Amino acid sequence: MKTSFAITNARLVDPASGTDAPGGILVEDGLIAQTGGALDLSGADDVIDAGGQILAPALIDLRAAKETALTPDGETTSSLAAGAAAGGFGTVVLAPNANAPLDKADGFAGMSRGLSAHGVRMLAAAGATRGLRGEEMSELGLMVRGGAVYAGHGDHPITDTQTLRRVMSYSSQFDIWLALRPADAALSAGTVATESDWSARMGLPSEPAMSERIAIDRDASICALTGGKLLVDRVSTADGLAAIRAARKRDIEIAASCAIAHLTLNEVDAGGLDSAFRMDPPLRLESDRRALVAAIASGEIDAIVSDHRPTPYDDKGEPFALAIPGTLALETLLGALLALVHDGELTLLEALRPLTSGPASLLGLKQGRLATGAPADFILIDGDTPWVCDPASLKSPRGNCAWAKRRFTGRVMQTFVDGQEIYNYNG
Amino acid sequence: MTRAAFSYDFPHRHLISVADLNPVDLSIIFERAEHWRAINRTRRKSSDALAGMTVLNLFFENSTRTQGSFEMAAKRLGADVVNFALAHSSAAKGESLADTARNLAAMQPDILVVRHSATGAPQYLADRTHMAVVNAGDGMHQHPTQGLLDVFTMTRHWGSVGGRRILIVGDILHSRVARSNIGLLSMLGADLRVCAPPTLLPGDIDQWGVDVFHDLDEALVDCDAVMALRQQRERMSGGFIPSGREFFHLFGLSRERIARAKPDVLVMHPGPMNRGVEIHSDLADDPKHSVIMEQVENGVAVRMSILELIGTNLRAEDEA
Repeated sequence: MKTSFAITNARLVDPASGTDAPGGILVEDGLIAQTGGALDLSGADDVIDAGGQILAPALIDLRAAKETALTPDGETTSSLAAGAAAGGFGTVVLAPNANAPLDKADGFAGMSRGLSAHGVRMLAAAGATRGLRGEEMSELGLMVRGGAVYAGHGDHPITDTQTLRRVMSYSSQFDIWLALRPADAALSAGTVATESDWSARMGLPSEPAMSERIAIDRDASICALTGGKLLVDRVSTADGLAAIRAARKRDIEIAASCAIAHLTLNEVDAGGLDSAFRMDPPLRLESDRRALVAAIASGEIDAIVSDHRPTPYDDKGEPFALAIPGTLALETLLGALLALVHDGELTLLEALRPLTSGPASLLGLKQGRLATGAPADFILIDGDTPWVCDPASLKSPRGNCAWAKRRFTGRVMQTFVDGQEIYNYNG
Repeated sequence: MTRAAFSYDFPHRHLISVADLNPVDLSIIFERAEHWRAINRTRRKSSDALAGMTVLNLFFENSTRTQGSFEMAAKRLGADVVNFALAHSSAAKGESLADTARNLAAMQPDILVVRHSATGAPQYLADRTHMAVVNAGDGMHQHPTQGLLDVFTMTRHWGSVGGRRILIVGDILHSRVARSNIGLLSMLGADLRVCAPPTLLPGDIDQWGVDVFHDLDEALVDCDAVMALRQQRERMSGGFIPSGREFFHLFGLSRERIARAKPDVLVMHPGPMNRGVEIHSDLADDPKHSVIMEQVENGVAVRMSILELIGTNLRAEDEA
């Protein structure tokens, strides 16, 4: 006996097929059975009228961080999953970071299994070197067997080029992406802002945009040398995009992600030295932000990531230059991104592609599209609902949110994974 | 008091950055500094301008002369002064700045004088406590009282710094003193020059309204004042410049070199000096040119002026 339901009278937005049209979907046993404007509803147990809301694939995030287990008052896997579901995410990849380097094969498979029990599909990426120190390789093969979906390296590049060559060469046998923060280690060491007139006047140690370009040039060259797959982990400057463009002319596999912060904020937001805007990579110039938005529109950036980082208040309880970088982003990402759509900087298809079919293609996931036979991972969005971001009302127990007090238009009303509702705004 | 002449009262309760000040503010500060400077030269230095108030000196970086200058200024104004050197207390125990500030604020001091290694720390404290905050140096950002005392010193010699050619030489990149001086002197219409190797200049300095030189002899031509900055020893060993002696030969001030400047050129230094690195001993001690000791004397007067003006505003808040 099949269970089935249909959602009709929706605006179907499916970047994978380029669809943006009225219609609905029929879900059978957790899979999408039909899509389009003319559904055969004879077998549907239930038919829901979406009232014209946007129906899109559930979002996929390639880079979120969880606090280490048992952190007092900290974000747990449950609160992370709850925030992700409320933000419209059906799939979240936990990426390695300094606190949780995800560099141990022991328990990796168990962790992956444990993560899958939270409604949202939680996946994990492997830390490419032990302790993310950039010295010795971690047991990548065993972690890939344990479910690792790509290899990452946290916030720091692999400084030593010989080590980088070996890690990329070794990882190529598993056909996984090696995600690397594009930064020249020496040029970026100790910096807290982007190099600009503002940071010079404020006397802040700053990272030149050229650091990103140099790193991408180097990493792409090692990619060419080894036949590995390079994922540029959060391009943030026009210079970085130029390096990616140059690298794509070579016969190498290269992809790029970009964080929501760099698409929607710039260094002027940090002008009051509010620690909430301390980011890594730092917030850049408005010209960089515009170049990134254009690269989203043109498809040069494959994935938008939340770079969600829950941080205790005390770590933000320091002046800008000393504060821990990062912001909560899972629940606010779509609201911030829709502002670019409302402002006419992006179409809805352009905005959603790097959150759905883009990352799904990178990782070879079945979800991320509204196609017959795909898992029924989808969201309903009311594109016109106004709301104000209040960190206290977010699912995360932390409050470090760079979009605090921002006004958004459009929010996620329902999130489904495998045809099961995992979030409903109306309770 | 000729405050009425301005039809304007000093409006600030904090001194965080020189960017918050306008030329009338400077006139008021300098007028009061002139008054305190005269008093300081008598045997009756004490006043009751800040009687009943507590000034808290909170220094997260070691300092002898700035802290001493603030302490002397506050005491001569009749305030109670408490010094906290936090380089070796709570901060070392892992307490966040926000918590430290809340604890100190709970002791009900009135004016906080703070020095911190991070840009923005004084603003951060001003935003989160009820205390009036005077920035005594934050990172590489600002050192407003040093800038004020430098400009006050020049103003006393010339009447006005407008149109005067002033050269700042040395490590501009890491210098909060340079940033404060450039802000004030630009506001007052000075003809500003900076001279340093490219490694010690901010990348965008050509947009700051100053003329940039890498050759000291060229930079010195017709200068009315030349200000040497302190060269920090940890930056002289191959990182930013090859050696202290190479720096002296290229950028060090000496009596011979300043012959290219105006005959009555003022030689200034914010201290402490590295003799033989940024300035030759003979020149530093030359009474014909060196106003370095005047700067130190004026520092107390300018800080008294700032503390008095802020204290007056705090009392006015209570009455309102």
